[in-house]
Amino acid sequence: MEPIMALAVGLLYAAAIYMMLRRSIVKLVIGLMLLSNAANLLIFASAGMTRGAPPLIPEGAMAPEGLVADPLPQALILTAIVIAFGVLAFAVVLIHRAYEVVKADDLDQMKETDT
Amino acid sequence: MGLFWIPLLPLLGTVVPLLSSRFGRSFLALFTAIPPLLALLLLLQLAPSVFNGEVIYQSFDWIPLAGLSLTFRLDGLALLFALLILGIGLLVILYARYYLSAKDNMGLFYAYLILFMTAMLGIVLSGNLIQLWLFWELTSISSFLLISFWSHKSEARKGARMALTITGAGGLALLAGLLLVGKIVGSFDLSVVLASGDLLRQHAAYPVVLVLVLLGAFTKSAQFPFHFWLPHAMAAPTPVSAYLHSATMVKAGIFLMARFYPVLAGTELWFLIVSMTGLITLLLGAYVALFKHDLKGLLAYSTISHLGLITLLLGMNTQLSTVAAVFHIINHAIFKASLFMAAGIIDHESGTRDMRRLNGLWKYMPHTATLAMVAAASMAGVPLLNGFLSKEMFFAETLDQVTLGSLSWMVPVLATLGAVFSVAYSARFIHDVFFNGEPVDLPKTPHEPPRYMKVPVEILVALCLLLGIFPGVIVGPLLALASTSVLGGELPYYSLSIWHGFNLPLLMSFLAMLGGLIIYHNRRHLFRFQSQFPEPDAKLIFEWLVQRLVRLCSAIIDKLENGSLQRYVFLLLLAALVLMAGPMIDLNATLGHQSSMPVDTVSLIGALLLAAGAIATVILNRRRLVSLLTLSVVGLIVSLAFARFSAPDLALTQLSVEVVTMILLLLALFFLPQSTPKESNPRRLVRDLSLAGLIGGVIGTINYAMITRPLDSISGFFLENSKTGGGGTNVVNVILVDFRGMDTFGEVAVLGIAALGIFKLIVHMRLYMPSTDGNGLPWSPDRHPMMLAIVSQSLLPLALLVSVYIFLRGHNQPGGGFIAGLITSVAIIQQYIAHGVDWIKERLRINYQWMVASGLLIAGLTGIGSWFFGRPFLTSWFDYFSLPWVGKFELASAMVFDLGVYLTVVGATLLILANLGKLTTSHSPAAKENN
Amino acid sequence: MLKIALLLVSGMVCVALVLNLWRLIQGPDIADRILALDTMYINSIALIIIFGMYMGSPLYFEAALLIAMLGFVSTAALCKYLLRGDIIE
Repeated sequence: MEPIMALAVGLLYAAAIYMMLRRSIVKLVIGLMLLSNAANLLIFASAGMTRGAPPLIPEGAMAPEGLVADPLPQALILTAIVIAFGVLAFAVVLIHRAYEVVKADDLDQMKETDT
Repeated sequence: MGLFWIPLLPLLGTVVPLLSSRFGRSFLALFTAIPPLLALLLLLQLAPSVFNGEVIYQSFDWIPLAGLSLTFRLDGLALLFALLILGIGLLVILYARYYLSAKDNMGLFYAYLILFMTAMLGIVLSGNLIQLWLFWELTSISSFLLISFWSHKSEARKGARMALTITGAGGLALLAGLLLVGKIVGSFDLSVVLASGDLLRQHAAYPVVLVLVLLGAFTKSAQFPFHFWLPHAMAAPTPVSAYLHSATMVKAGIFLMARFYPVLAGTELWFLIVSMTGLITLLLGAYVALFKHDLKGLLAYSTISHLGLITLLLGMNTQLSTVAAVFHIINHAIFKASLFMAAGIIDHESGTRDMRRLNGLWKYMPHTATLAMVAAASMAGVPLLNGFLSKEMFFAETLDQVTLGSLSWMVPVLATLGAVFSVAYSARFIHDVFFNGEPVDLPKTPHEPPRYMKVPVEILVALCLLLGIFPGVIVGPLLALASTSVLGGELPYYSLSIWHGFNLPLLMSFLAMLGGLIIYHNRRHLFRFQSQFPEPDAKLIFEWLVQRLVRLCSAIIDKLENGSLQRYVFLLLLAALVLMAGPMIDLNATLGHQSSMPVDTVSLIGALLLAAGAIATVILNRRRLVSLLTLSVVGLIVSLAFARFSAPDLALTQLSVEVVTMILLLLALFFLPQSTPKESNPRRLVRDLSLAGLIGGVIGTINYAMITRPLDSISGFFLENSKTGGGGTNVVNVILVDFRGMDTFGEVAVLGIAALGIFKLIVHMRLYMPSTDGNGLPWSPDRHPMMLAIVSQSLLPLALLVSVYIFLRGHNQPGGGFIAGLITSVAIIQQYIAHGVDWIKERLRINYQWMVASGLLIAGLTGIGSWFFGRPFLTSWFDYFSLPWVGKFELASAMVFDLGVYLTVVGATLLILANLGKLTTSHSPAAKENN
Repeated sequence: MLKIALLLVSGMVCVALVLNLWRLIQGPDIADRILALDTMYINSIALIIIFGMYMGSPLYFEAALLIAMLGFVSTAALCKYLLRGDIIE
């Protein structure tokens, strides 16, 4: 299972970075989305993958029994997902403003954006 | 009193002149002189124990881990230099009071002067290498301030800049050298370093260390080829020249060489570099000094020459030459300072320094003339003065050394030649200024200066005489002490008597005098000869070099930063790739020892779908909507992966965010161009693909390496204490709102700020709405399809119910404020989509900014609430209650915090999406602002 | 017995997912692609519930609930986009 996961993460990263390097503004946004997904998966996978044992304390017990998944990376990834959404929203609106100035979907023309 | 007061008193005394400048010039000078005077008294009090052979040591810990401590060390050499610095400093303070005119800012001048004094004392008293370097740089800076004191003159500014650049560059080399020394020896402490001479000399890096340290010393002491800054520094006021450029700052390099003598000297390399540089400087300085028409220029080159002499002596690698060097340090400081002061008096009283115009001043200022003549005679090496004694020792040393093998006879010959020129320019100083006819066209009528202006000169000249006649009594013990600390051991036999009999050194002195006078008499021919050479202006060469350097740097920067965002991203990613790949190459076994999980088919197919979705997004990216769909697929598979591998909270969050993101992109996509022009450059495609592929591969490898290794996690604490300490069974949620509540607070604050920023950006947005869709067909006229409206209307209460349910159970089951907030906002957005803005406006009047603010406020107040119970911010509390019919349930204050989070998420998301949606309607924020 | 049936069903749902993706990439018309995405959502609901039954825990059913609701919303938004271009009017 591990090599498959590593492969998937690597592929996602490659796709994300390729999109971010392109000339179009919209591709940059798509690349950002892929990048946030890829990063979340990376952290999630690195923490170790356990099947079927979510970090919940069973009814009536004081501590989880047996081996459960690691709750701390999950909390961090949750924060990351929400903040990535915020960043994405900001980036989209910002890119739209830049597009208004440059009037073309081309990052190469975006060398001077002082209005 | 401790040793550290000696440099500390002048440091504190830096503010004294600034504060007391209103009391008038004499009082200002008096108050300024008090801290150095106290320091001098303290030094004299400590002197006897140093004379007994003790090395006084005082240390304060500063950064123990880095080996840095504030250490002060007083031994013989330090005592000698400290006496020079403080003594001559006090005399300069007195002198400057009369030299500076009424329009100069005397308080500021004294402040800079005392600052320099502190820095110089810091250098000589430092017991730690890095501390020494720190004070070294401080002298560069304070000398810059002093040289450029008359900042209205452009040559002062240029000279100061040149001095700072050269000495600064030398300081950088010195730092490198000192760091190397510290690394080799293992400590930055001076006592340890001084004891490890052999270790250093035999180390493989010894030549590098030597060159670096000597670079620092040579730039500061104006040795060839770095000597050119000193004449240009003569644009400073004369008290500065008297203090810095004769007695103290230029001697700092010499001090460094003397200080490191027991550690670095004694080798072939030291001899070669140091003595050859010294010899060249000696001759060059003496020769050029003769041709200078400016009084201070002559003295500057003479200083260069004498410093070359001391350097030559230090380079000769014998013990006696070291003693001679120390002796000449003392003598040179005394007579050169007095000469500069005399030159300053002449300048002050007659208004010019040009020796072609200054003639016959003997009639006008006989007293000053006498003093100057004695000092100049000492410079020339006339018997019965101190200069003669050290010159004799110098000649004796050059005769005794065998450093150049069979060519060693050249050294005494060249030394005598240097002495010839020395006599010549001294004679010029005396004769051309005070005799030789009438003054030509002077701005002021010269007369004797005020009484107290001559006092420092008198004291110094008296010392010259006394040292010349009774050397053993006055300076013998001090010389012995200083030489002992330089040599680090036994002193050789030497005699300080003024008469050694008719021997070769005496002959050499006599020849030098004769030769010098002959040359001076025939100087016209020499001047004519010299005028054939073009005069190299060091300033021009320096400026040219600096400008070339600046242009080179600009060219490099233009290549790297040409304004293209793609270039920056590319370079950033390239750097990240290199940093990531480096350690991975060193890692030999990627696969760790963790037992691997068996493959199950569903996950395999999920991974395949993920890969296919990602690749499809990349390939199909020219059609916006399609890549958006494939992005949704990727998001869906990721959330399924989260669900599969035991992260239910994450799965829920990912799903909600996925949908919200899709709606956001749909909203924004409408206003962006529907298709991209084709990228024109295939080379760029290959470049981007290869970089992306490489990074993906490296990260995949890192991930694989990380997954297969066992990890030590701190989550045990959270798992143990979730129920008992936080009152909830959903550990992830308890971590979010309780254990790491501060992080969550920051996170919702960020979300709120982003939403507000977006709102502000949206207000000024201008829109380009396409009038047809991507295929060229016109839009449908049906604004709100009826079926959608009805179904959505019944969806809303259900969605809100689910949202509240998930919110309430968040603490114990997967759920929580984030997910509930996202569900609520999705539900409301659905209403916007189905019914339109007008419909919603009538029914739902919420100000989303207020929602964000109230959410943040509630979260903050919950945190502050725990202050009332004497606990830190955001400590949670929980207890069990029981209600009739409901039964026992548990309430935690974290739920109120979660409520704050909920409100913020709803408000922020709606603020973004609703306002983006309203742009095309009459309720757009811009319209509202204009109304 | 149930476990074997669940395994078989999950296999078939996976095949369905793959076919959906194929249609998403291939589909000549945009409506085909949106339908394919919606069907993928439904298939994921099935997969999650099967997984919950397999594990014997009701934890994941809320996830299924959410997929159902949110899938509907996203499909509706996409269709509105096709229809009018401007989602919120």
